[in-house]
Amino acid sequence: MSNATSARPKPFLQPEYCKGCLRCIEACPRDCITPGDEINPLTGLRPVALHLDNCNGCSLCIQACPEPYGLRRQAARPCVGDDFELEDPAKLFGERQVANHSAGDVPDTFVPLPACDPMILKGTYAAAIGALLAGCRHVFGYPITPSTEGAELMAKILPKLNGSFVQAVSEVAAVNMMYGAGGAGVPCLTFTSSPGFSLMLEGISYMIGAEVPGVFINIMRGGPGLGNIGPEQADIKLACRGLGHGNTHALVLAPSTPQEMLELTREAFELSFLYRNPVVILGDGYLGQMTGIVKLPATLRRPGLPAWAVWGDRAHRHNLICSIALEETDLEQRNRHLNIKYAEISAHEQRSDLYRCEDAEMLVVACNTPARMAKGAVEAARAHGVKAGLFRPITLWPFPIDALLPVLPTVRQLIVVEASPGQLEDEMRLALSHAGIAPPPIDHVRRFGGLLPQQSEILAKILNYQEVLS
Amino acid sequence: MSVFYEQFNRHSHGEGLKGHSTHYCPGCGHGLVHRDLAEAIDGLGIQDRTVLISPVGCAVFAHYYFDVGNSQAAHGRAPAVALGHKLANPEAVVISYQGDGDLASIGLAETISIAQMGLPLTVIFVNNAIYGMTGGQLAPTSLMGQRTATSPEGRGREMGRPLKMAELIAQLDGPVYVERVALYDAKQRVKARKAIRKALQFQVEGRGYAFVEVLAECPTHLKLSPPETEEWVKTQMEPVFPLGVKKDLTVDPWFKRGAPSFEPEAVLGLSGADPLGEQRPATPWPPHLHANDIAIKLAGAGGDGAQTAALLLTRAAIAEGYDATHIPSYGPESRGGTSYADVHIAEGEVLNPAAPEPHVLLAFNAPSLAKFAPQVAEGGVILYDSTIVKDPTGLPPGRRIIPIPFTQIAADLGRPMVKNIVALGAMQAVVNVLPAGSILDTLHQVLKDKPALLPLNDSAFAAGQQAAEALHATA
Repeated sequence: MSNATSARPKPFLQPEYCKGCLRCIEACPRDCITPGDEINPLTGLRPVALHLDNCNGCSLCIQACPEPYGLRRQAARPCVGDDFELEDPAKLFGERQVANHSAGDVPDTFVPLPACDPMILKGTYAAAIGALLAGCRHVFGYPITPSTEGAELMAKILPKLNGSFVQAVSEVAAVNMMYGAGGAGVPCLTFTSSPGFSLMLEGISYMIGAEVPGVFINIMRGGPGLGNIGPEQADIKLACRGLGHGNTHALVLAPSTPQEMLELTREAFELSFLYRNPVVILGDGYLGQMTGIVKLPATLRRPGLPAWAVWGDRAHRHNLICSIALEETDLEQRNRHLNIKYAEISAHEQRSDLYRCEDAEMLVVACNTPARMAKGAVEAARAHGVKAGLFRPITLWPFPIDALLPVLPTVRQLIVVEASPGQLEDEMRLALSHAGIAPPPIDHVRRFGGLLPQQSEILAKILNYQEVLS
Repeated sequence: MSVFYEQFNRHSHGEGLKGHSTHYCPGCGHGLVHRDLAEAIDGLGIQDRTVLISPVGCAVFAHYYFDVGNSQAAHGRAPAVALGHKLANPEAVVISYQGDGDLASIGLAETISIAQMGLPLTVIFVNNAIYGMTGGQLAPTSLMGQRTATSPEGRGREMGRPLKMAELIAQLDGPVYVERVALYDAKQRVKARKAIRKALQFQVEGRGYAFVEVLAECPTHLKLSPPETEEWVKTQMEPVFPLGVKKDLTVDPWFKRGAPSFEPEAVLGLSGADPLGEQRPATPWPPHLHANDIAIKLAGAGGDGAQTAALLLTRAAIAEGYDATHIPSYGPESRGGTSYADVHIAEGEVLNPAAPEPHVLLAFNAPSLAKFAPQVAEGGVILYDSTIVKDPTGLPPGRRIIPIPFTQIAADLGRPMVKNIVALGAMQAVVNVLPAGSILDTLHQVLKDKPALLPLNDSAFAAGQQAAEALHATA
């Protein structure tokens, strides 16, 4: 606080900043202030009138004024902030616990990792280790089967790395802790499953609106409602089309092996910071539990600190994480900005995996674990002499239409395989429609309720069409 | 005052009067709380370190005014956002600034749970007994009989009584300092200023969570003049919400956190990664069951060790240079219910990790045998625990049926729980997918921290092998 009170300066008022609330009148012990009788032409309000002959500079009126630029001491220059020296907090409060960043934009660095044996991990663990290698040290979550084991591993490891695992009071709280930590510019993560993901959607909308990065791993389970804990893929619609209210999109990644759980989680952090947007990883209950071989990457990411972060230091002091824009033109502008970002993501981040698609007449489309059943079915169909192939979207939003289109000329039948009532198929149809392509006939193999399409069902469908079409 | 922006450029782009006037109504208490907060930040010299979380409510635009780090939270979630900031940077001084709807209604779960955690945070609760931003509806702190837009006849008994947050927060174990203050006269304003500064000081010094409830004026929605509203707070609100310190503990600074570690060795060690070891010399793929991809199902009751055996197989296969997967499936009755595992071992890549038609079935009990034996592929192998399953019927033709008393053999070794290792030994001898050395090496690696168990497990594996070989010899 400025200490220039010894002279007891008298109050000063610029009438246009007075709303005439009269709280100063009550406060003044010497009746120096009276209600104004003239309406200020700028504000339409009646500012108070000061009569300072009796004033002894007690400043009680100033303390009663709710306006920052209302009643002020005469010494203060109007409309200009005081120059003052900040006291050095290090001297005031002792040594700092962590170094405060001084630079505004601290780039990430990549530290080489020694060569390791391949690990043998279940999908949720692989994702957790992928996050650790991406520099994530902040995990917020709420227990929900079948995703919890990833969070449990983080709860065990993070405290030993000076990180934080917080079991929040709910998924609603968890996503907002991510809003905070992500807004501070640190990589953060949650593990959840379908009902919990539903609860996080509001927060994801805020994160998208405020451009806060964060990675959401949703191990999808059977629904609707409480459903069951078996694997399903019925949150594709939510992740691709329903991330809370408003104009929202996020990259949606669909791994199909423990290896991809690690790699895509690791990559998700980079994408999340690159685009300042949440990234959603959709797994299924099988994938979360499935154990397989996982090779570790060559480097570990040591995250920097972006210039936009609300960190709590001088370099980042003027930053704001915020999704409210009261003026319509401002909010329209922000939406245009988001749309440009979505278009960039759509143009640059489509990913897919093509298996024996080069001459495929029967093209199976599947993601996550059902893509593996489909791969088995494709291989079996090839053994029957059928030209089958698998198109596996790795990004569900954006749908990898650019890789699908070149495959289509030889395709006589599309078969979408999924553990949902057509949510993947809808994404594909929408992408085809936007591309203006009349696709080959589309059929599907669908299971629900915690059951996945089986290889035999997919194979039967392929063979059936082969018979019909030949 | 330097903690306020020189010009409020976020308020309608700072144009006209809005560059220096708040958006608050005349006489609103928020302005005074803002001044107190700004003075405290200034006085403590923490402007650079401060992160202010603004709520949803009339203070949603606090970031128009405070020249500090600002984050604007969803309705009720400011404490969660504050916690995220605090854990991201423990050096930051994080303030959660909230109104009564935000803190005491929609955000009650966050309010209480984060208060109870007790990390050093400062929560400023502006209680004016009414919803301002949405237009004067009933707040959790509205007084009995108070007329609002949603209690037009006055707050009645069935709407519940006003929620006394300061008392509620004070009775939690987490907070160290809780006080309720008011703004209705000069004396109260001095107390409010001190309380807010003290609540920040507690955080700055790492002593813990502090909560200040401020009884504030909302002349607009009370439909009174500002002086009348001050009087209303004094005469109507204060008797319901008594002022004063509710909790003030003497706590030494305790909150200390180092910077997160990104040391590769630490991360890899905690993740369980091992330095690159020697690859086992590759053995040729055993083609007798399938050309390149063998499916094995292990099934039993929970506790039979099917999952452990399945994981051992998976690890051994990967160590052998193959691809392998394991999917556990527990019945809903996971305690003592069915527990089965699908394992795939492939020369190249496991395409489909499920095993709807396994080449090998290892069954530990009768229900598992009955359920899965019919699914075994023709020419496949069925091993089962003949101690548990006597004279099974309905086994499919065209499969090799291998009954071996896993449980009895394990019991003879003194530990019935190693029956899964007996079974693995038997399966190895019969199926010969992986070399015995590969499985044993894996077993030793898994048990490297429990060397006392090694001889028993080695014996169990060998006993299983011998039983299978003896059976083969007599067949």
